[in-house]
Amino acid sequence: MAAGPYNYSYIFKYIIIGDMGVGKSCLLHQFTEKKFMADCPHTIGVEFGTRIIEVASQKIKLQIWDTAGQERFRAVTRSYYRGAAGALMVYDITRRSTYNHLSSWLTDARNLTNPNTVIFLIGNKCDLDAQRDVTYEEAKQFAEENGLMFLECSAKTGENVEDAFLDTAKKIYQNIQDGSLDLNAAESGVQHKPATPRNPITTDQPPNKENCSC
Amino acid sequence: MADKDGAEPVTASTNNPLSRKLNKILETRLDNDKDMLEALKALSTFFTENSLRSRRNLRSDIEKRSLAINEEFLTAFQAVKEQLDSVYSDVQAMNECCLDMTSRLKAAKAKTHHLISQTTSLHHESQRLQVKEQVANAFLDKFQLKQDEMKSLRGSKDGTLHVDFFKALARVKQIHSDCKFLLRTNHQTAGLEIMESMALHQESAYERLYRWTQNQCRLVTQDTPDVSPMLCQAVEALQDRPVLLKYSLDEFGKARRSSVVRGFIDALTRGGPGGTPRPIELHSHDPLRYVGDMLAWLHQASASEKEYLQSLLKGCTASNIQMDEVLGNITEGVCTPFKVRVEQVLVSEQDPVTLYKLDNLLKFYHHTIGQIVNTEAALLSTVAEIQDLSHRMFFNSLTGHANRLLDKVELPPSDLGPTSSLTQTLQLLRDVLACHDASVVPIDDKKQDYKQILACVIDPLLQMCSMSASRLSAIDMAAYMVNCIHLMNTTLALYEFTDTRLEMLNAQTDAHVDTLISEQASYILNRVGLAQMYGAIQQHQTGQGPLSSLPGLDELAIKSAVNKFDSYLAQPDSLTLPQCSLILGVTVRETAKKRSVELVCEAYKQIFNAILDPENGYKDGKSIVPRTPDQVTHLLN
Repeated sequence: MAAGPYNYSYIFKYIIIGDMGVGKSCLLHQFTEKKFMADCPHTIGVEFGTRIIEVASQKIKLQIWDTAGQERFRAVTRSYYRGAAGALMVYDITRRSTYNHLSSWLTDARNLTNPNTVIFLIGNKCDLDAQRDVTYEEAKQFAEENGLMFLECSAKTGENVEDAFLDTAKKIYQNIQDGSLDLNAAESGVQHKPATPRNPITTDQPPNKENCSC
Repeated sequence: MADKDGAEPVTASTNNPLSRKLNKILETRLDNDKDMLEALKALSTFFTENSLRSRRNLRSDIEKRSLAINEEFLTAFQAVKEQLDSVYSDVQAMNECCLDMTSRLKAAKAKTHHLISQTTSLHHESQRLQVKEQVANAFLDKFQLKQDEMKSLRGSKDGTLHVDFFKALARVKQIHSDCKFLLRTNHQTAGLEIMESMALHQESAYERLYRWTQNQCRLVTQDTPDVSPMLCQAVEALQDRPVLLKYSLDEFGKARRSSVVRGFIDALTRGGPGGTPRPIELHSHDPLRYVGDMLAWLHQASASEKEYLQSLLKGCTASNIQMDEVLGNITEGVCTPFKVRVEQVLVSEQDPVTLYKLDNLLKFYHHTIGQIVNTEAALLSTVAEIQDLSHRMFFNSLTGHANRLLDKVELPPSDLGPTSSLTQTLQLLRDVLACHDASVVPIDDKKQDYKQILACVIDPLLQMCSMSASRLSAIDMAAYMVNCIHLMNTTLALYEFTDTRLEMLNAQTDAHVDTLISEQASYILNRVGLAQMYGAIQQHQTGQGPLSSLPGLDELAIKSAVNKFDSYLAQPDSLTLPQCSLILGVTVRETAKKRSVELVCEAYKQIFNAILDPENGYKDGKSIVPRTPDQVTHLLN
């Protein structure tokens, strides 16, 4: 009972963005259910999923908001960037157009999230290597130029999916420990559960007032 | 013996002592007499000298010897006797002792008999008691709380709960229910008493648990509440007291509600760390973004709150209704700040397109948030209310626009094309309908909306067109109306659910086109001078005599008209009405042209037939009308 699944120290909010049909919902499904969802319907607006992971022996709950890629939902989905600690930006390695649109997604992500939001670039559908339209090196370079983390994944086989979500969380956690992410602030996309001991953090930065319940 | 038997008859002789003696001697057999031999041997030991004296003394010697031996005997036996005497006395003493002991034992035995029986009975008693003790202990184990259980159940004075509290509480509950077994047996009193005391324990424990839970629930006001396992357990345990559970959940809801309100106001006014993301209110100049951001925030907040609530209630069974209720309470607080802001936006917004976008946005979120909270939740009804308002505001704005159109009717331009207000309104309509493509509401709503929007825009537009055309001539009006309706038609044709409207508009176009066609045809016939003849031929009846006798229908007149008609045939476009060429729709224009030509051809055919009819008295019909109707049709097409 004491170590139930609901005991976690942090909540990280993620948002998944990218063109229509790049497999955002499938990535989320693969991550939360460990299953590939064939015939995934178009997302209407936004949906969300959760999973608890462990980083540096801290339990972290990921609250992942999966947005619709269709242009007509852009106005709606833009409102969900607010307060995301991590943004997973997805393109389809077999469709160049989805890669070409990344800069517009990136602009949105930079403008609408806070400066500490970790942006992770994901090239999905890497199981379809035969139909590849965007090389790994090219995307890698794009990621480096823009300071993004990068992985190629497959929501179908599950390859690297876990890593993409976990690496993002690790980076966010690292930011917290560095003190570059201020937990005090509302909408940092990270919420801390004050009940658990948090020795490693308090040594660096004093985010000590969050316990006060007004 | 034979001797004895033989001697009996001679009793006389035996009676003689001597003879008897003699006999006796004679009968003596010395070697057989061991005693004699022994005696003699013994005698030989001391009788060593066979002399008279010794023989005389023998007797005394023997007696002396015998005496000595006897004396010796006596002394020896004296010692023996003494020994025996002492033994005797010893035995005697022993016997006495034994007797004494026996009697003492007997006495003791008599005395202890009681004791033994007492001991035995005590022993039995003790065994019985031991069994009883075991039973009692087992009973107590089963039906009484242990010391530490009591302690953890009572808790400490500051109201904190021990971790074992729940175990103890479960024990109390178990005991309470076990008492039912007692009641079924002969131990009803015990059962009732234990039950009563457990019920008391239970009550006070629940009371304490409730206080604790209530206090804990009051504390969950952080952005992310700390739903501790203990609190979950407490809520789970409180399930047995629905009222207390409800109060606790109410407390939880109250705490969360204020936290959500605070978070909402923060997001509105303070934004993220260092101002990024920027506070939502900074976008209040952009109604869609402003309202959209608020709604998205509310959506995310309600989703999160639902999760916290789920984690709190994870141990509870069948609590969905209750959960929905609490979630409704939690999300209730933000309703007013949200409503006030959106209402302000809606009321100050004039643009129907923006209003419609807002309406669709609200509709979408009503649907989205409706997946998280239930229909009774205040948040959902607030969104519904605001959506209703936006819907009304949108149609108000549309109707207002339409009314303005009717207030200030423009005169049709000289080219009989659509007025600028018409094109502007249609552009507006396009913009409004385009919102739907970008929106996310269900098809049914879309159909309903379209119907209403079209009614709101197209009907006043038609009315406006008729009003502006009222002072025009019939032909101008027809052409103008055809143009206006054509424009509406092409606008609507691009959208779904406009079929009935299009049908209606087409019918109106057709009516106006019919006017145009007949005007065009009669214009042509008039200009070539065939109109009068055509009229006369149509009215002619056989009783009136041949046609050629009628005035104006003589050969010459007809010939000159047919000549004119010929020149028209050479240049058919020369006689097209200007209004017809002003028709914007190519298809409509072509149709009008084609059908007017058809009418002309039909008229010519009737004239032709009438002239060739011998009854009508024309001499050389062929020379009057050299062209057959087929030729004419061919030329004109």
